[in-house]
Amino acid sequence: MQPRLRFLAWLLAAAAVIAPLAIWRLPGESPMPGRTVITYWEKWTGFEGEAMQATVDAFNQSQDRIFVKLLTVSQVDRKMLLSTAGNNPPDVAGLWSYNANVYADKGALLPLDDYCNRAGIGPEQFIPAYWRQCIHRGHIWALPSTPASTALHWNKRLFREAGLDPERPPRSIEELDEFAKMLTKVDAEGRIVQMGFMPSEPGWWNWAWGYFFGGKLWDGRSKITCASPENVRAFEWVQSYAKRYGVQQLQAFQSGFGNFSSPQNAFLSELVAMEIQGVWMHNFISQYAPSLEWGAAPFPYPADRPDLANTSIVEEDILVIPAEAKHPDEAFEFLKFVASEPGMELLCTGQGKNSPRVRTSPKFMAEHPNPYIRVFSDLAKSPNAVTTPAFSLWQEYSTEMTTAFDDIWLLRASPAAALQKVQARMQAKLDREIRQWQRRGKSYIPDEVR
Amino acid sequence: MASPVAARGGAQSRRNLRNGLFFVSPWLIGLSVFMLYPIVASFYYSLCEYSVLQPAEFIGLGNYQDLFSDELFLKSLSNTLVYAAISLPLGLIVSLGLALLLNTGVPFMSWYRTVFFLPALVPQVAIAIVWLWIFNGKFGVLNQALQPMLDVVGRALPGDPKLTAPGWLSDPLWSKPALVLMGAWGVGNSVVIYLAGLQDVPKQLYEAAELDGASWSQRIRHVTLPALSPVILFNFIMGIIGSLQFFAVPYVLSPAGSPSRSIYFLTMYLYDSAFTHLRMGYASAMAWILFLIIFVLTLLALRLSERHVYYGGE
Amino acid sequence: MDVRSAWGKLVVLLILTALGLTFLAPLLWMISTSLKPIEETMTLPPQWIPSELRWENYSKAIMYQWDRAEDVVPPFARYALNTLYVVVLAVAGTVISNALVAYGFARIPWRGRNVLFALTLATMMIPFPVLMVSVFAIFRSLGWVGSFKPLWIPAWFGSAFNIFLLRQFFRTIPNELSDAARIDGCSEVGIFRHVVLPLSKPALAVVALFCFMYTWNDFIGPLIYLTDKKMFTLSLGLQFYQSQHGGTQWNMLMAASTIVVLPLIVVFFLTQRTFIQGITLTGLKG
Repeated sequence: MQPRLRFLAWLLAAAAVIAPLAIWRLPGESPMPGRTVITYWEKWTGFEGEAMQATVDAFNQSQDRIFVKLLTVSQVDRKMLLSTAGNNPPDVAGLWSYNANVYADKGALLPLDDYCNRAGIGPEQFIPAYWRQCIHRGHIWALPSTPASTALHWNKRLFREAGLDPERPPRSIEELDEFAKMLTKVDAEGRIVQMGFMPSEPGWWNWAWGYFFGGKLWDGRSKITCASPENVRAFEWVQSYAKRYGVQQLQAFQSGFGNFSSPQNAFLSELVAMEIQGVWMHNFISQYAPSLEWGAAPFPYPADRPDLANTSIVEEDILVIPAEAKHPDEAFEFLKFVASEPGMELLCTGQGKNSPRVRTSPKFMAEHPNPYIRVFSDLAKSPNAVTTPAFSLWQEYSTEMTTAFDDIWLLRASPAAALQKVQARMQAKLDREIRQWQRRGKSYIPDEVR
Repeated sequence: MASPVAARGGAQSRRNLRNGLFFVSPWLIGLSVFMLYPIVASFYYSLCEYSVLQPAEFIGLGNYQDLFSDELFLKSLSNTLVYAAISLPLGLIVSLGLALLLNTGVPFMSWYRTVFFLPALVPQVAIAIVWLWIFNGKFGVLNQALQPMLDVVGRALPGDPKLTAPGWLSDPLWSKPALVLMGAWGVGNSVVIYLAGLQDVPKQLYEAAELDGASWSQRIRHVTLPALSPVILFNFIMGIIGSLQFFAVPYVLSPAGSPSRSIYFLTMYLYDSAFTHLRMGYASAMAWILFLIIFVLTLLALRLSERHVYYGGE
Repeated sequence: MDVRSAWGKLVVLLILTALGLTFLAPLLWMISTSLKPIEETMTLPPQWIPSELRWENYSKAIMYQWDRAEDVVPPFARYALNTLYVVVLAVAGTVISNALVAYGFARIPWRGRNVLFALTLATMMIPFPVLMVSVFAIFRSLGWVGSFKPLWIPAWFGSAFNIFLLRQFFRTIPNELSDAARIDGCSEVGIFRHVVLPLSKPALAVVALFCFMYTWNDFIGPLIYLTDKKMFTLSLGLQFYQSQHGGTQWNMLMAASTIVVLPLIVVFFLTQRTFIQGITLTGLKG
């Protein structure tokens, strides 16, 4: 044998000696002996993650039978699905609400109906907008964990500067436009230095503008409706801003915005005077711009549609038990704790969010860090609370809508044309999905219509 | 077979069968569990709606029908074919060219061979990451090197156009060429194979050609390439199989095949269908289409090469 | 011009040098970046030689995100250990199983051998994705997803390519040697161990080497089967590192890449001859 080969053989032998170390590790956080350890995967990091950990700690202290181990996992939805498919899932996972219906249809989630019945958990305890995101085809698949609603945030100092009443936010869209004009500043060279309102900021709900004008994206059955007159009207309104101020000027202005969670955030650095934001915005304000004078109010409605007052995009995160979880009973104990009034209020106070429960303790409202918590809480209960369409095509649909928004915002397409295009493409996909279900002798259209 | 012991009839042949099966037994298990059963099962799954979590439901040819009305599938298929169509011939030219240069009897040949081979050792994930850095739009070393050259070319052209280096991985038009370039960097394996093949070409053939007064290029065309043709064909077919399954590099660059799905390849969609959407039946149907394409292209390559491949001395 | 003339050789040498530098450049750039301070990775025009050598980039890359309460070694070392574990088991399995099987195909005449061998060769055409879903389903029902088992256990059951390679080699060993041993009363297993294996070390080294390369580089296998971050292999760890921090700390990312590439290069230089022979064997005898 060549001497080098012999050397390699030695190398291999050495590797063989070291390799078993791979399975040698410290026995993680040592849980109390005699307790059932359940694993919980969550996406949150930062202060939201800390609030979740505090809730887990409270649960672990509340009894001596179960120990919940919280792990932060990136891309938690994909990982949970893959590990469930691999028969090796966590006992609890924190997902986004739009995962629920898709994963339920795939058989990746454990239905919670029996557990909830036995524990006395039911629709009457939760705000409908939050509860319905946990339901699919008549079954309960999840319980709410991190609820939120959205509202118009406005900058009182800039209002005062522009000669507006700092305590009076716009009520109608027309008023919003009028205020926005007064709040927008352009310098001598035509550069925008301050915007009153900008439909593309923060850009997280670009698909949703239609709802503020009475539009819907889906009829809940077999029709995609994003090109309806209400939706077209909404996006014409969006485009009016781009037309008024010019695409290039807006892009130049926008390129000066910093990261969302930094003091250079467009709203926090007072570059944009009004924007739509969630209940969590308060956390970022107090962290990055504590001296900002701000307020929160329901987003305006078109003057001719007073029935649309108090429209709010309502989002939530959910806790689920994967279908193949090893300890479903213990996992539900934890879910039950989080969904209970003390559990939920501990979590929502920590995360700075409103509660998904119909009733809250007086202490919760009184001691909540967000001074406008009542606005958000009322909006969540509003009949005009908007949740994402609960169907399997939602992620593709929102991508398509975002692309359409960009085309509209950059004046590359008329709103009608861009929305028509999305509607045609998504309708074809929905038809295909319905066909696939029919082929299996089932109906795609969920009985629970939003 | 020439073994005198083997010819002793019944008992011996039974013993041989027993021994033979004993030695082959690991593979009998491997072949059936990791090959034959999966092939059959995957064909069955391709006719099913199958999420792994629920039992497979037979739906006939539904998956195949859906595939051909699925824009993303057609996009990923065309991406894959376009990539293969550019990278295969280019890889062939580069590796053959390098092998021919190395075979001219230059000094330090084995040193140069090592240099060309080294990149082939780099793992796919590392290739992707290193090139991501090289192609970086702002601080990328490649465009920094290219720009001065483009400036010179621009000045030489009529009308002094300002030529700018492409955005590579951020430009849908240039992202595939960028991948081809990365692929061409890793041709070391083929270079080594071709070089060995070149050294096997009988010396007499060259001598005969030289006596006829053939030049270097003529010798290559009439002696080297025909003698090397079986090796080229074999490597070309392996190249087809490999490039149609291209996965790790584009996946690391961008799991979604950005920009604009321009580097979203068939195997990436297959992986996503199976493991992100748990549509295992759909993914299996895709895998069978992939297999069919590989099969047809291989047959085609064999057919077209029939007249040009020269199997000497066998 | 004749390439064998002195001028011809010089021209070829110049071309080769230029091309060689081009081929080396990405590797050199990787190493150069890995030793730079972060500010220097973002200077224009780029500098090839770092103003000072920051070796601590390597220790930083290794120590990165080490939570001592979670693990006794830093994540990167954990990835390396995991890789080593899988590599050792896979290499051992590959060498043992394929040698056995190839012996059965090459040295024992039995009924059905040729049919089975033809079938074996035919399976080389099957692309991996065709098998992916069903093999996943098998490992799932065994409860092996999320463990290292799917990554090394199949290696213990042979693979068509290696069987073919070793069979070709075993056939070149003269039959007289085994016959002599057989007459001495040696069993088939004895012949395999004492006659054929000792003569086949170079071929076994090739198989081991390729298996090492393949397992070290494997990406899709770990991507499908490993769910726990602590069990990632180097390939997967590097990708994870990239997707979390790509575009920010290029010097650390390049240091991590260098660590992943380096063992391969070292092994290559140690075994260059075997390596080149092996590759030649695979490409020519197909």
